[in-house]
Amino acid sequence: MATTWKLEFPYRRSVGPVIGAFLTGLRDRRVVGVRTAGGRVLVPPFEYDPDTGEPASDLVEVGSAGVIEHGAWVGTPLRTHPLDRPFAWALVRLDGADTALLHALDCGSAAGAEPGARVRIRWRTETVGHVSDIECFEPE
Amino acid sequence: MTDPVQFMSHHTAVEYSLPEPSRLGVHFAVQLGRGKIIGHRCPQCAKVYVPPRGYCPLCVVETTDADEVSIADRGTITTFSVITPLQYPGQQETEDYVQATLLLDGSDTTLMVTGLEGIAIADVRTGLRVEAVWAPDGERGAAAVGVRGMGLGDAVKGWRPTGEPDLPREQLAEHVL
Repeated sequence: MATTWKLEFPYRRSVGPVIGAFLTGLRDRRVVGVRTAGGRVLVPPFEYDPDTGEPASDLVEVGSAGVIEHGAWVGTPLRTHPLDRPFAWALVRLDGADTALLHALDCGSAAGAEPGARVRIRWRTETVGHVSDIECFEPE
Repeated sequence: MTDPVQFMSHHTAVEYSLPEPSRLGVHFAVQLGRGKIIGHRCPQCAKVYVPPRGYCPLCVVETTDADEVSIADRGTITTFSVITPLQYPGQQETEDYVQATLLLDGSDTTLMVTGLEGIAIADVRTGLRVEAVWAPDGERGAAAVGVRGMGLGDAVKGWRPTGEPDLPREQLAEHVL
């Protein structure tokens, strides 16, 4: 008789002051990034400026809409994907940010995931302080 | 809620199906159900594999029913770890326990075993002689054994010291893991 096994890893991670602020913001349906000493706004935020290694802790709120930098169409979603219908993975640069956030984009067809298109966050009904508080992006 | 977020849960899971056990796996399990441990002796190098694999990975030759040998239900602890169970969802252990590597008499391969009985953790040592504490006839859950091709499943509940003198470490050098 064939059998099915399920191997589970229930991790609980400490998120630190900067990612913690980002997740706390998401819970309030706000997007929080950090401004580096050089003036760049990183979203999602890092604790350090990747260019210089200097600490970055100047928290700054950015917009909840932005522009697609890159998109990758997923015609056949897997069971573990965030959407159960065809969607795109998109790098979205939110208004006020200098870096892009990777998330799912519910745009109907590959044409909707072209670089330059405007998209906005679709918030989950209940937010808990997790990146999945952003259900996905959608065309603006 | 106004407290800042300090933790996030990150739940990952892998689900997979195992195929039908091999004829040899079923045979091994049925023998376990009868309270017998079997292995295969390589016809070329004479190493004995428990459970039988149907081949010798060193000589790359097939082993068959003709190579079957009986293995004792007693052996020697070659190495061990004391596990202190962390409490996470699904964890069923609450107390420290020993996970040991066991070399059964007549075998060249080792088994991972738990359930050392009648001995304090501090007294467990390399070279310790133990014997199987079999589950009662009819409760050996042998059917589950062949599926994974390792260990003795539920057939053996645990292992208890035999009282024999320890085996010298030198005799175990080839069988640590």
